[in-house]
Amino acid sequence: MIDRLIQFVAACRAADLRVSTAELIDCHQHLQCVDLVDEARFKTVLRANFAKSRRDQAAFDRVYDLFFHGPGAGEDEDAQHLDAEAAADLLSQAGMGGDGLDAALLDFVTGDPASFLQVLKDLDQQADAPSASGVKSNLGQLAGRMQVMLRINAIQRGLARLPDGTGQAPAAASASRRLNQARGLLTRQNRPYNDGLRQVRSHHKHYQGLGEQPFSSLTPAEIEQMRDVIQQLVRKLKDRMGRRFAASRRGGLDVRKTLRRAGRFQGVPLELSYRRRPLRKTRIVALCDVSGSVWSAARFMLHLLYSLQDCFSSVHSFAFVSGTTDITEIFAHNEVNRALEKVLSSPDIGFDALTDYGEVFYEFRQHHMHRINRKTTVIIVGDGRSNYQHPRESILAEIREKARRIIWLNPEPEAFWGTGDSEMHTYKAHCHEVRTCQNLNQLIDFIEELVL
Amino acid sequence: MEFESIEDVTCRLERAGYIPSREIATVVFLAAATQKPILVEGPAGGGKTELARAVARCLGRDKIRLQCYEGLDEAKALYEWEYAKQLLYTQMIKEKINDLIAGADSIAEAVERIAEQEDAFFSERFILARPLLQAISSDKPVVLLIDEIDKADPEFEAFLLELLSEFQVSIPELGIRKARHIPMVVLTSNNYRDMSDALKRRCIHLYIDYPEPELEKRIIRLKLPGIDEALADRLVCAVNHIRELDMKKRPCISETLDWAQALMVLNIGELSCQAVSDTLNVICKYRADAQLVRQSMDKVLSVK
Repeated sequence: MIDRLIQFVAACRAADLRVSTAELIDCHQHLQCVDLVDEARFKTVLRANFAKSRRDQAAFDRVYDLFFHGPGAGEDEDAQHLDAEAAADLLSQAGMGGDGLDAALLDFVTGDPASFLQVLKDLDQQADAPSASGVKSNLGQLAGRMQVMLRINAIQRGLARLPDGTGQAPAAASASRRLNQARGLLTRQNRPYNDGLRQVRSHHKHYQGLGEQPFSSLTPAEIEQMRDVIQQLVRKLKDRMGRRFAASRRGGLDVRKTLRRAGRFQGVPLELSYRRRPLRKTRIVALCDVSGSVWSAARFMLHLLYSLQDCFSSVHSFAFVSGTTDITEIFAHNEVNRALEKVLSSPDIGFDALTDYGEVFYEFRQHHMHRINRKTTVIIVGDGRSNYQHPRESILAEIREKARRIIWLNPEPEAFWGTGDSEMHTYKAHCHEVRTCQNLNQLIDFIEELVL
Repeated sequence: MEFESIEDVTCRLERAGYIPSREIATVVFLAAATQKPILVEGPAGGGKTELARAVARCLGRDKIRLQCYEGLDEAKALYEWEYAKQLLYTQMIKEKINDLIAGADSIAEAVERIAEQEDAFFSERFILARPLLQAISSDKPVVLLIDEIDKADPEFEAFLLELLSEFQVSIPELGIRKARHIPMVVLTSNNYRDMSDALKRRCIHLYIDYPEPELEKRIIRLKLPGIDEALADRLVCAVNHIRELDMKKRPCISETLDWAQALMVLNIGELSCQAVSDTLNVICKYRADAQLVRQSMDKVLSVK
C-alpha cells in the first residue's frame, strides 16, 4: 500500500504538484480511517491531501486517471485482446510501416507508452531551441505534431477498413481505442483551471462621448481634452484616498504617550492617545506593450499610475515590444507628458520589431524577477498577439507564484481574444483578473478599483 | 459526540440542516478523526460558512468566528492587553502601592518590591481574549471558523501557522498557551489570492462546487419544506442553465434558495418568461447579468 502511494506521489510531483512528505504521511493515516473498497472515497482522500487548490485539482485528476486507469495500470480490458505479435500483425495489415514513429505507436498500442511519450517530449523541446536562421516560430513543432496525428488517423482508417469476419474485430476496436488515447495525449494542451479569475466588463458611464471613444481613434485635440479629464480624476481620487487613510489609520493604544500626557493631570490618564499606522500600499509593476495600437491604451494607464504615484508604495514600469526596457527612470525625472514623449522616442525600444511576448517574459525573468514579491501587483497591458511565437506561459505562471496579483488589461474587445495570433486565452489561465480596456470609462473603473 | 463513520457524518449533518455531498462528508470525517484543519474553497454562496455552522450544531459545540479582512492583526485576532483597565486599577490601588513601598530604604528596593507584584498586572484578568485565544482556552471543545482567510494579509497567514499545527499560541508575558481541547478548525477562502504552501500543507483541502442538480433539489426541499415538487425541478433546471451563461457572478445555492423563496412568497407556481423576468433581481447581482439572462430566456427555460 505505502509503496504504491509513494509511486503515486512521485507521479504527482512529476506533474508539478507540490506534495510534501508530511502530506504523504497524513494521507496514509487518513486512508486507514476510511473504507477503501469505495473508489470515489479513495480518490477524495487522495485529492484532499495532494491537490490543495482548485488550480491543482485538474492536474491531480489527470495524474490520477493515468496512474490508476491509464495503460499499464493493472486491470485493463483492451490488453486482453492485444498481445504484441497479434497487434503488430494487425497494424501492418492496417497499413503501418516500420519507422521510429510507427514503432513507438505499436508500443503504445500494446501497453508501453514510454517511447511514444518520448516522441512527444522531443516535439515539445524542439520548440524551445532557437533555429539557426534566427527566425523564431513554433511552426516546426506544429508541423511535427501534425505529422504524428496524420499517421494515427491513417492507421485508424486502415483498421476500420479491415475485412469483417476474421475474428479480428474486438482487437481492432481495442487498438483503435488506444490510438484515440494517443491522439488525446498529442492534442492535449495543459491549461490550469483558473477558478479565481475575474473577468471584468465595466458598464459604468463616467463620461459620455469622450469616455466611450476608443483610445485608438482619438484626435490630437481629444487627447488634450483627455488629459484635462485625467487631471480632474486624479485630484478626486487623491482626495478620497486621503480621507480613507485618515480614517483607517487608528491603531492600538500608545501607552507611552498616554502616560506622558497623564502627567499633566496628576497621573490620571484622561487623554488617551492611539498609535497611527500606515495602511499597506501596493507595489506595482507595470508591463506595457508599446507596439501599434496598444500603446494608446498603455500611455493613459501609465499617465494615471504616475499621477497617483503617492497612492502606491512603488511603481515600476517596463515598456516592451520584443524585449523589456525599464522606463521607471524616465518617469521619475520628468513630468508625465514629457516622459511619455521620451518613451516614444527612446532608442532602446525596437519599435519596428515584431511583438514577442515569450521573449518579453523570458527577459523579464532574467533581469527583473527580484522586483516581484507577495506585495506586488503586476499589471500587463497588451493584446497578447505574439506573432505565432512561443508564448512561454510557464513564466507567467512563475510570476503568479511570487506576486500578489496579476491583472491583464487588453485593449481589444473580448470577441477578438484568441483569434489569429492572439494568445490571450493561454495567458488568461494564469491571471487573477482580465479586463478589456478600450476607452476611458473602462480605464477609470480599473484605476478606481485598484486605488480604493 | 465524535463522528463514528462517514455515514454517521452524512446523517448528522442532514439532521443539522445541511445536506453534504459524499466528498464533503468524507473530508469532514477525516478532519475530525485526525484533528486537522479544513481549508474550504469554492464560489461565494456555496455553503462554506454554513458547513462550519452545521458541523458545530451536530457536534453540539460552540462556534467561534473570526472574520478576516485586510489589515487584521494579532491584537484583533488573538489577544490584547486591556491598558485602560490596567491604568484604572493602578489609580485605584495607589495607596496600596504606597503602603508596599513605605518601608523601603532605597529606590532600588522599592522597585524590587513593586517588581514582585508584576504578575498581578500581566495576568489573565487584564487580557482581552479575541477569537483565536477564546477558541483554544475554552473549557469545552469548539468549532473555530476562520472566514475568508484570503482577504487577510500574508503576514497574518504566517502567524496562523503556529496555531494550526501546534494548537498553541505564545504570549510573551505569560508564556506558551496550549489548547485545552483541540478545536475543529474550518478556514474558508474565495480564491481572491493563492494561499501559501505552508498553510495548505497543514490543512485538508475541500472544494465545494456548484451542487449536482439532484443534491440541489434535496437542499431546496429541506430548506423550504412547502415547495411544490414540479416548481423545484424547473427551478433547479433553470438555475443550471443560467450557470452555463457567461456571467459576472454565477448564482450559487444561496441564490437558488432566495429565488425559490421569492417565488413562493409571490405565489408563483409556474416558471414562465414573465415570472423569471420579474424575479431576476434575486439571482442576478449585476445589471449586465440580468440583461444576459433576459436575452437567453429560451435557453434558460428549456427543460433539458
